[in-house]
Parts: sequence; structure tokens; C-alpha cells
Amino acid sequence: MLKFLLKKQLMEIFRMYFYDAKKNRARSKGSIIAFFALFVIIMVGLLGGMFAFLSSVLCEPLTTAGMGWLYFVIMGGLAILLGIFGSVFNTYSGLYRAKDNDLLLSMPIPINEIMIARLLGVYLMGLMYSGVVIIPAIIVYWITVPVTFANVVGCLVLLVLISVFVLVLSCLIGWIVAKLSAHLKSKAIITTLIAILFIVAYYVFYFAAVEAIEDLINNAALYGGQIKDAAYGLYLFGSIGEGNWFAMLLFSAIVAAMFFVMWYVMHKSFLNIVTSTPQAKKAVYREKTAKQNSAFIALVKKELARFTSNSSYMLNCGLGILMLPLCTILLVINAGTFMPVVDQVFGAQSGIAVVLLCSGLCMLASMNDIAAPSVSFEGKSLWIARSLPVTSWQILRAKAWLQLLLTGIPMLLCAVCLVFILQVDALQAILFVVACLACVALFALWDLFLGVRMANLNWTNEITPLKQSGNILLAIFGSGFYAIAIGALYLWQGYNIGPVMYLTACIAVTAILSAFFYLWLKSRGVRLLEAL
Amino acid sequence: MLRIENLTKRFGEKTAVDNLSLHIAPGEIYGFIGHNGAGKTTAIKSVVGIQQFDSGDIFINGTSILQDPLACKKQLAYIPDNPDLYDFMTGIKYLNFIADVFAVSPEVRQERIREYAGRFELTSDLAQPIATYSHGMKQKLALISAWLHDPKLIIMDEPFVGLDPKAAHLLKQMMREVCDNGGAIFFSTHVLEVAEKLCDKVAIIKQGKLIKSGTMEDVKGDDSLEEVFLELEADNA
Repeated sequence: MLKFLLKKQLMEIFRMYFYDAKKNRARSKGSIIAFFALFVIIMVGLLGGMFAFLSSVLCEPLTTAGMGWLYFVIMGGLAILLGIFGSVFNTYSGLYRAKDNDLLLSMPIPINEIMIARLLGVYLMGLMYSGVVIIPAIIVYWITVPVTFANVVGCLVLLVLISVFVLVLSCLIGWIVAKLSAHLKSKAIITTLIAILFIVAYYVFYFAAVEAIEDLINNAALYGGQIKDAAYGLYLFGSIGEGNWFAMLLFSAIVAAMFFVMWYVMHKSFLNIVTSTPQAKKAVYREKTAKQNSAFIALVKKELARFTSNSSYMLNCGLGILMLPLCTILLVINAGTFMPVVDQVFGAQSGIAVVLLCSGLCMLASMNDIAAPSVSFEGKSLWIARSLPVTSWQILRAKAWLQLLLTGIPMLLCAVCLVFILQVDALQAILFVVACLACVALFALWDLFLGVRMANLNWTNEITPLKQSGNILLAIFGSGFYAIAIGALYLWQGYNIGPVMYLTACIAVTAILSAFFYLWLKSRGVRLLEAL
Repeated sequence: MLRIENLTKRFGEKTAVDNLSLHIAPGEIYGFIGHNGAGKTTAIKSVVGIQQFDSGDIFINGTSILQDPLACKKQLAYIPDNPDLYDFMTGIKYLNFIADVFAVSPEVRQERIREYAGRFELTSDLAQPIATYSHGMKQKLALISAWLHDPKLIIMDEPFVGLDPKAAHLLKQMMREVCDNGGAIFFSTHVLEVAEKLCDKVAIIKQGKLIKSGTMEDVKGDDSLEEVFLELEADNA
């Protein structure tokens, strides 16, 4: 039975790679290879490459100074952080809120086996994210220092220990969220706020770490000695990678103990959490006259209700709403420092600040991909919209509009604020604002295009349309690359034509691309939606 | 009210609905019966405009669903076999959403929600998220939303599944009220006793083909509908 459950869980996780939900049939071999290649390029090429670079910067100076353990403390710490960051948002729903819970619980399957299958999903997610940090770090270490039997075993043990530790922490957080959820009324908003705090803490740590790493390399011996004296446990943790047998045994025992405690707690509470209904106080219905909306506004409000009711949706697809004003406020406060630095670094390229800020704002806007999973989210309730007297185009337009509104309004406010610190003439200011807004429109249409093209209505867990769908990945990276390209192309050659011409060209290209996706959605997109 | 002409729908090699023609007049409760996989749901989905079909046409009050789907949808209400509603909304928000789409004025919707939610004893749960509703409560909410815009034609797929006896009785009453006011009901069911007592006309479908249709008396004669159905199933096996 366990074998069957594990197979089912793996099939669910990797379903999109093998099965085309839109065509309701298995993918071709070529398509499977292409999907896996894309996954490998993003996870190994981009993320892995980034951490391989960081490892290569850190490894040699630290190992030369006899501080290999410190190298593993840093990289192991980053792996744990990224592992938790990658899996924490899915743990609660993945562990406790899968749609097939009732089905599985009604069958003669031991609870332990259902838990193991669920944990496998959480473990793989954590392993994937922690692995993109620690595996390149291990490879760089093996290239830098002589390979011995002890350090090979040590590194492999470290990899396993980190992944299990990430699983334990993710489960702990998932368990806390489950306990809180049982008593909270506005749990989507509260979960989102907690998660945002977590993300802010992560980025604060990240930016502090960049400075700290530089300082650490210059003063490795000093800090190494201090850490070793003050936190001997950290030293032992790092020395696992160097092949310290005692540390391997000790931490294996600690992590195993933590795992068994987690297992015990989960085992005791799993059935209760899975089968419980929220104990929040029943809302009292008070009759009142509702305001009448047009059909289109009703559709947009429906999309908004879906977005605000789901913390995973808000966190995965709407962080730009928060990041746009946050970064703008930081920029406005630090304008006195930021602008001279830009002038100093890119003095040769005139008007770079206006283009770079445009690129930066668009990057933040690209974090919003609300429209991308919106078609898949219709799931089995698609019949409602389809049977109502609204056109398929209205249904699609409402989805794009929500993203346009939730990104466009903060973008407009932020762009207007930044105009004041840019101190450019009126024409450049207008072009800057228009270029930013044009990108918002393009990203909304691009995300919806992917949402329709790669719609998957057959999911048992909301993680599937949010995290395990190719359209989300393409939406984030596609719009992100476009935003980066705006700045990069200007730095490369664009400065030759000046910011006015460059921004005008950007607006024109963005408008043409937007028109293409708009027309596609209005014709082919509508037909695809109707065929779902 | 509803005219289905030579409706054919294929899924690959399989013909789910084969040249189906039916006519439902105002004031009629029309039952649609057949075994599992006979093509009832496919035909119903085609009628309400959420399933594309290969040939034939469907007319609602003389308007083709192919030519003017919106005009057709404005006149009808549909309840599927499994009412997967928007779990993220509360009951009242869902009803207001439906009322907005059908342009039901605030006063009228308030009055109808009061009436139908009261009849189905769902009023106190309207502020609750739909996610917390039982299957039966969702079915009741779907029924209220269907009746909310006073449709001329109501199309239902297995509407009695999940309803408690009191709600099922109420639904039968409401179906009759619609027809008495000049509307029409077209619904599928496996409960032959219900069909026999409630329907003015009935159509029996097997493997996508219409094997018998007409008034209840024409179809069953002196036998029970169950006997006729089983006999027809055996004859066409």
C-alpha cells in the first residue's frame, strides 16, 4: 500500500511533466524532455549556478585558512534557509489539506502510510531548494580540497542531515499554521502577514549576509576562532562536511531525534487536524441591501475574493503589491545616497537612472503573476462562469484586470513618487511612467496567455496550479527577464540613443507585444477556454 | 421553450450523444433518464452552452445557442450533478455574484434570497464560507442561485442527490411552480419513482441515442416506469 501511495504522491508532484491536462493525455517524449530540461536549466543553471559562484568565492579562502567547517556552516545555513523558504508555504496545505484526504482516510490504509506519502512531497520540495545550495557547495569543495573518503561521506551525510532538518522545521511550521488555522477567522490574511514577515526577515538576513561574508573572508581566522569558542555546536556542524566522524554521529543522532519527535507529534495530531473543521465562531448573517454591480465588475470582484481568500495565492503571485511601495519608500528615503552612486557607476551612460529605475520597478511588478494560475484555479467550478450569460472574453478580461489593478495602481503611485527623485524633464518623466505602466499591462496579458495555454483544471491540491505548473515558472521568469532586459539593453547599446528615444522604443515594443497577446487572448484564448 | 435538434457530440471515437432531438414546451417538467454514461450529462452540458458539440443545434425560445449563447443563457439556469461552487465565497456573496451577473436589482434579489433561503432553511448559514457547507447545503445554495433570476427554463443534472427529504419535497414544489408560471424544467435523474410522479414527459437515452420519449402515459402505459426502463435497456442491449 505504501508503495502505491508513494507512487501516487510522486505522480501528483511530477504530473505536469508527464501529463497534458489540457489535452487529457500523456505528453510526448519530446515534451517530457523539454519540460525536464527547462526545470534543470532554472534550478541547476540559474539557482545552482548562483550558489556555485558564491561557493567558489568562499571555499578557497576559508579552506586555505583551515576554516572549511566555517564554509559548510555558511553554505549549510543558506541551504536550510532556502529549503524552508521554498517549502514552508506549501507544507500546511500539502500535509493537511490535500483534497484526497477523505478518500484515503476512508480506505483501509494505515495513517502512518498516508503521513509518509505526504511527508515525501514536503521532503522533496525541501530537498530541491536546499539541494541547489548545498550540492554546488559540496562539488566546489571537492574541487578545491583533496577528496578523501571521510570528506565524501561527510558531505553526503551533511546533505541528508540538512534535507531532513528542513523537513522537520517545515513540518513544525506547518503544524503551527494548522493549529492556528483551526481557531482563526481571517486566516488567509494572518498567514500571509506572518509569511511576509518571514520573507522580510529572509531578505534582511540576505543583505546583511552579503556584507558579512565579505567581512568574514577578510577576517576568517578571527571570526572562525570566535564562533568556535562561542558556538561549538556550529563548529561541529560545519566540520561534518570536512569528514569529522564524531560530528557526523552526533548530528545524525540529534536530527534523528528531532525527526522522531516531529513524527510523534504529527502522528498524534494528524488525523485530528485533517478531519477537523475550523472552530472559528459562526458568522451571523444580517440581511442588507447589496449594491448592484455590472457583470464584469462582479467577475473582477470574484477574482479578488479568490485572491484574498488564499494565502498561498497572495504570497506566490502577489508579492509585488507589497514590494513596489516598500522599495519605492526605501528609494525615496535613500535618494541622497542612491542617485550619486548611480551617476558615479554609470556616469558614461547618460539618463541611466531613469531607465534603471524603470527596469527595477518592472522587476518588482513581475513578482505579480496573479493571472497565470487564475484559469487553473477555476478547477471544477468552471461550469459556473461558463453557464452564466457572460462571454468567455469577459471571463478572461476580468482575470487580467485584477492583475492590472493590483499591480497598476501601486506602480502608478510608485512611478510618480520616483519621478521626483529622478529630477528629469517632463517628457522623460511621462515616458518613465508610461513605460512602467505599459510593462504592467504586458505582464498581465503574458501571464493570462500562459494561464490559458497551460491551464490545468484537474488538481487535488491548490499547490499544483500555484507551484507545480509550468505557466507560473514561465510567467515569473518571462516577465522578469523582460524587466531586466530593459536595463541591460540600455547599458549595452541603448544609451547611444538617449533615454527619451530608448523609453519610447521600449513603450512601442511593449505595446506591440501587448497587442499581440491581447488579440491572441480575444480569439484563440477564448476558444481554448471554451474547449476546457 | 427548448428544442434540441439532431444533437451529436463525439469524444474521439466514442459518440456520447447521437442525433438527439427533443422538444420541451412551456409548462412541462421533462425527465431525462438513462444509465450511467448514457450521455445525459453531455447532452445537458451542450444545452446550457458549456460543452461544444459536433453537429445539430439547440434553441431556447427560438434562439440558437450557437448563434446567440448569451441570450440563451439569460433565460436559463443550470445546476450540475455535483455543485462545485466557489468555496472561497460566503453563501450570500455567491448569491450576490449571480444576481449581479443576471442584473437582478438589489430589492428583488433581497426579496428572493429571503424567500428561497427561508424555504430551504439556509438563511442562518448565508454568512458562512461555502467551503464549510455540506453537499446538501451546497445543493440548496445552487438551487437558490438558479431560482434567483426567475429563469424561464431550468436545467438540472441529478438535482435530488444530496438533498434531505424535506428539501427534495420543496424542490418538487418549486419545479411545479415554475411550470405553472409558464416556465419549463428539464432534468436528469436516476430516481425513476421521482420521474414517474413528477414529470409530464420523459425521454430515455441509451448509449447516446434516444430510445423512447413522450408523455409519461405514452412511455410507460400501464406498467411502472422502472419496468419500462429495464425492458428498454434489455431490448437495446
